[in-house]
Amino acid sequence: MFDKESGLLQGTVELLVLKTLSWGPMHGYGIASWIESVTSDALSVEEGSLYPALYRMAKKRWITAEWGLSENNRRAKYYRLTAEGRRQFREQMTGWRRFASAVDQAIGSTVAPSWAK
Amino acid sequence: MKEPRKIPFIASQPETEVDSELRFHLEQRIQANVANGMSPEEARRAAMERFGDVEGVRDECARILAEDRRTHARREWLDDLGQDMRFAVRAALRSPVFTALAVVTLALGIGANAAVFGVVKSVLLNSLPYSDADRLMRIRSPIKALGEDRGSLSAGTISDLRERQKSFTSFGAWLPERDMIYDPGDQPQIVKARWVEPSLFTTLGVRPVLGQIFTDADGLRDTAFNVMIPWHTWQRVFAGAGNVVGKTVRLNNIPRTVVGVLPRGFVMPEEGADYYMPINMAPQMRDPISVRGSHNFGMVGRLKPGVTAEAANAELNKIGDELEKLYAKDNLGIGLMARPLRDAIVGDTRTPLLVLLASAGLVLLITCANLAGALLSRTISRRKEFAVRVALGAGRGRLVRQLLTESVLLSMAGGIAGVVLAMILLGMLRGLSLRAIPNYADLSLDTGAIVVTFLLALLTGVAFGLGPALSVGRANPQGTLRDETRGSTESVRSRRMRGMLVAGQIALCVSLLAAAGLLARSLWTMINAPMGFNADNMLTFTVPLPGRYNAATTRLAFKEDFEQRVKALPGVKGVAIAGGLPTRITNSNGIFLQSRPWEANEPVPFITTSRVNDDYFRTLGIPLIAGRTFNASDGPDAPPVMVITEAFAKKYFPNADPLGQQVRYGPPDPNQPWTTVIGVVGNVRNNPLALSPEPLMFFSQRQQPFGEAFAIRTSAQPKALIATVRATLRAIDPGLPMYQVKTMEELVAEGFAARKLPVMLMGAFGALALLLASVGVYAMFTSMAAAREREFSVRIALGASRRSVAALVLRQGGLWMLIGLVAGAGGIFVAARLVSSQLNGVPAFDPLTIGGAVLVLLTCAGLALMVPVRRATRADPITVLR
Repeated sequence: MFDKESGLLQGTVELLVLKTLSWGPMHGYGIASWIESVTSDALSVEEGSLYPALYRMAKKRWITAEWGLSENNRRAKYYRLTAEGRRQFREQMTGWRRFASAVDQAIGSTVAPSWAK
Repeated sequence: MKEPRKIPFIASQPETEVDSELRFHLEQRIQANVANGMSPEEARRAAMERFGDVEGVRDECARILAEDRRTHARREWLDDLGQDMRFAVRAALRSPVFTALAVVTLALGIGANAAVFGVVKSVLLNSLPYSDADRLMRIRSPIKALGEDRGSLSAGTISDLRERQKSFTSFGAWLPERDMIYDPGDQPQIVKARWVEPSLFTTLGVRPVLGQIFTDADGLRDTAFNVMIPWHTWQRVFAGAGNVVGKTVRLNNIPRTVVGVLPRGFVMPEEGADYYMPINMAPQMRDPISVRGSHNFGMVGRLKPGVTAEAANAELNKIGDELEKLYAKDNLGIGLMARPLRDAIVGDTRTPLLVLLASAGLVLLITCANLAGALLSRTISRRKEFAVRVALGAGRGRLVRQLLTESVLLSMAGGIAGVVLAMILLGMLRGLSLRAIPNYADLSLDTGAIVVTFLLALLTGVAFGLGPALSVGRANPQGTLRDETRGSTESVRSRRMRGMLVAGQIALCVSLLAAAGLLARSLWTMINAPMGFNADNMLTFTVPLPGRYNAATTRLAFKEDFEQRVKALPGVKGVAIAGGLPTRITNSNGIFLQSRPWEANEPVPFITTSRVNDDYFRTLGIPLIAGRTFNASDGPDAPPVMVITEAFAKKYFPNADPLGQQVRYGPPDPNQPWTTVIGVVGNVRNNPLALSPEPLMFFSQRQQPFGEAFAIRTSAQPKALIATVRATLRAIDPGLPMYQVKTMEELVAEGFAARKLPVMLMGAFGALALLLASVGVYAMFTSMAAAREREFSVRIALGASRRSVAALVLRQGGLWMLIGLVAGAGGIFVAARLVSSQLNGVPAFDPLTIGGAVLVLLTCAGLALMVPVRRATRADPITVLR
C-alpha cells in the first residue's frame, strides 16, 4: 500500500510506534504484533522495517531502550516513551487527523470542479 | 501493561545488541507460527519472509546505534565537565581560606617560573635582532697569557684576515665607544660615540628606518662628517622628528650631519652608543705603530652559505697562528677565533640563568608536594561526601576526574595570578636595566611564554591533584559510611603518601637552600675580602677632555690646577687622578724584564696599568710597602719610573729586591728606555669578582698625563661636595662636563651587581621553599596528631606521660623528615655541582653552608611541628573519649 521509500511510510510507522508505546514499555516484536493486530494487517509492511525506525527514534530521544525480561522470561529490549516522545505523539496525532480528514473530505467531495462542467 | 523486570544494561558492540534484539523477534514470530499450526520449517520460512531483509536491517540499525552512542558520549563528557567545573567552583568557594592559600601558593610557584622563563626566553631563545642571525660570528683575538678569550683585534690583523680567509662573505669592525661632547648650545653634555665600518650594518643586515646607512665613501675622510643615530637618540634628542635626516649635530665642536636612523630594535653586538660614525680601515693602516700595536677593534663576520661555525673558527685559528709567526713583535701570544654571535653576547649569563630556572623549578615541585599534602587532608575530611556519592552511583573514575578538575581549576587560577605576578616582576627587572642581561633581551612574556606557563599550570594541577584523587578512588565507601565514630583515622596508605610528600619537600628545600647559601656565601666572601683600598667617603667622576687639551703640557697643567683648587675646598682630604680607578682599570700592557727575558715560545704577560698622580696612593689608602711613590722629582724629563703592587713583585721578582728593577712595557722596542721600579704598594683587587689580586703597575701622570678619572677623599658625605666641585671645574673651563659622578662605594658595588641578582632571587626562592616546606611539616604533624587523638587520649588515660606521647608523634613524623634529609644529601650534591662554576672563595661542598642550610630547615620545621605536637599531648582524655 505504501511505497517503502516514501516519507509517508516512515512518518506513519513512527506515529504508530508512539501510539503503541503510549500504552507502556514494549519490545520490538510486541510493537510489531500490536500494530498488525490493530490495523488488521492492512498495512502489510515487512516487520524488519520497524527496527530502523525504532533506532532512529531512540537517537532522537523520543524513546529510550533498556534490557528486560519478556513474558516468557527471555532477554528482550524494551522501549519506552520519553517526555519528548509523549509530546511528539500528541503533535503527530493532531497532524495526522487533520491530514486524514482533509484527504477524506477531498475524496468524499461531490461538488465537481468548475472546469469539469 | 505491567513493567518488565529490568536486567542490568551491559554495553556491547552495536552489532551484537541489534543481533540479539532481531533474534528475539524472529524466535517469537516462529513460536507464534508454530502455535498457529505450522511445521517448524514452515514457521521459520514464514517468519523470515515476514521480516524482510534481516542483514540490511541489522546493518542499518547498528549504524544508527553506533552514531547515537558517539554523539551521546561526547555530549555526556561535556556535560560531565560542566558539572565538574560547577562543582569545583562550589567546592572552592565552600572553603575560601584553603582556596585563597592554594591560589597564592600556586601563584608564587608558577609566577617565579614564568618570570625566570621570561628572562631565559628573552636572552637564550629569542632570535637576535639581525637578519639570519645564526650565520653571524663574533671574531676576537684571544690573549693566551691572560687566558682571556675576548681580546680585540688590530687594524693590521683585520686587514690580513680579510685577505686570507675563505669562510666569510662580509665583515664589520668597530672601535670601543668613546665619550664626546655634544653641545646643543646651552649646556655641554657627554654622549657615547662609536666608530663603525660602513659594512657593519650590511653585515648585520640592519636597515635604517629613515635616511640611509653609511656608504663606503663615508669612511674615506679622516673626519667623520656623517653620523647615524639609534632610535633612542632620535626620540630623546630630536623628539622623533621626521625631518631629522640632514640635520646638523655638533659633536666635539665639529658639525656633523645625520644621514640615517637605526631601527628601534637595533642593538650593537657590544655596548651601544648614542651616535655612530663611519670609519675606514685604510687610514688606520697608515700609522706604523698602531696598525699592529693597538688591539682595539671589535668585529663580526657573516658566514658563507654552507660553512659551519666550527670550520670558520678552525680557519681563523690557523690564520691567527700564521700572523703570530709573521708579526711576532705585536701578535706574540695572540690568536684569532670566531664564535657564534649569540654565545658571545650571552656569554656568562647562561649558567646563572639556568641555575635560576632550575631553582624556580624546584620551588614549583615543592609547591606541588605541598598542595598535594593539603589536598590529601582535604580529601580525608571530605571522605564522607565522596562515600555518599559513590554509594549514590558515582563511578570511581568520575570521582577521580572530579577531584582532578578541582585541582586543575586551582592551578589555573594560580596560573593566571602567576602570569600577572611574573609580568610585574619582569617590569621591575626591566626597570633595573641590569648590565648582566644582554641589551637585546626585551624581558617580556610573549604568547609562547604564556602558553608554556599555562601548560605548566595544567601539569601542576594534575601533579598535585593526582595522588589525593587516586587515594579517594581507592577508598572503601561502605567502610567509611559505617565507621561513623572512628571516621577520622587516616589510612596507612595516605599516611605514607603524606610522609613521602613531606620528605620530598624537605629534600628539595634543603638542596635549594644549600645552593642559595653557597652563592650568597661566595658573594659575601667577595664583597668582604679586603679590596686593598679604602672606599669610604670618596667621590668619583671623570672629566673627558676635548681636543684642545691634546697637548701633554695642557693636560698636565689643567689637572694640576684642578687638583690644587679642589684640595683647597673645605672637607677635601685628598685628590686622586688616574687613568682608571680601582675595579675599573681597563688598560693593560705587555711587559719585558731586564732580569729575565722571555723565552721565544713564552707568551708576553699583560699587566693591568694606570697612570696616577702623586697623591693617588695616599688618597685611596693603598699602603706603601717598600721604596717610594711618585713625587715632583719624576717630571717629564726625569728617568721613567713605575710603582708595582706586591702581587707583581712576588710573581716577577720572586727572589730579588723589586726596587731598582728595570722594566719595558708596550710593544717590544729595543730603543725604548728601561723604566725603573721605585716603589711597591699593597695589592688592589681590580676585578672585584676575583679573590686573588692580579699584578698591577702604575706610572706617573707627570710622565704620562693620560686618564681623567678623579677620586676625592672627603671628610663627610661625599655627594654633598658635588656642586662645589662642579663650580670649581666650571671656573677653570665652562666647557668641561663632570661625568659618571658617583661615590666609590657605588662604583665598587656596580662590579658586584651582576652577581647580586641571581643570589637575591635564589635567596627569595629559598625563603619561599622554606616557608612551603614548613607548612608541609606542620600539616603532616597536625593530621598525624588528629588521626591518633583518640589513641593518645587512651594512652594518657591509662597513665602514659605526655612526654612519651610527644615522643611517639615525633618518632613517626621525624622518620619522614630524616628520609627527606637523606634524599636531600643527593640533592645538595647535584645543586653544589650545578653552582660550582659560580663560586669564588667557597668550596662547592662547604660544610658551613650545607650545615647551615640543614640547620635553618630543621629550625623552621621544628617550630612548625611544635604546635601540633603540643596539641597532641594536651588532648583531654575525658572530652575526646566521650
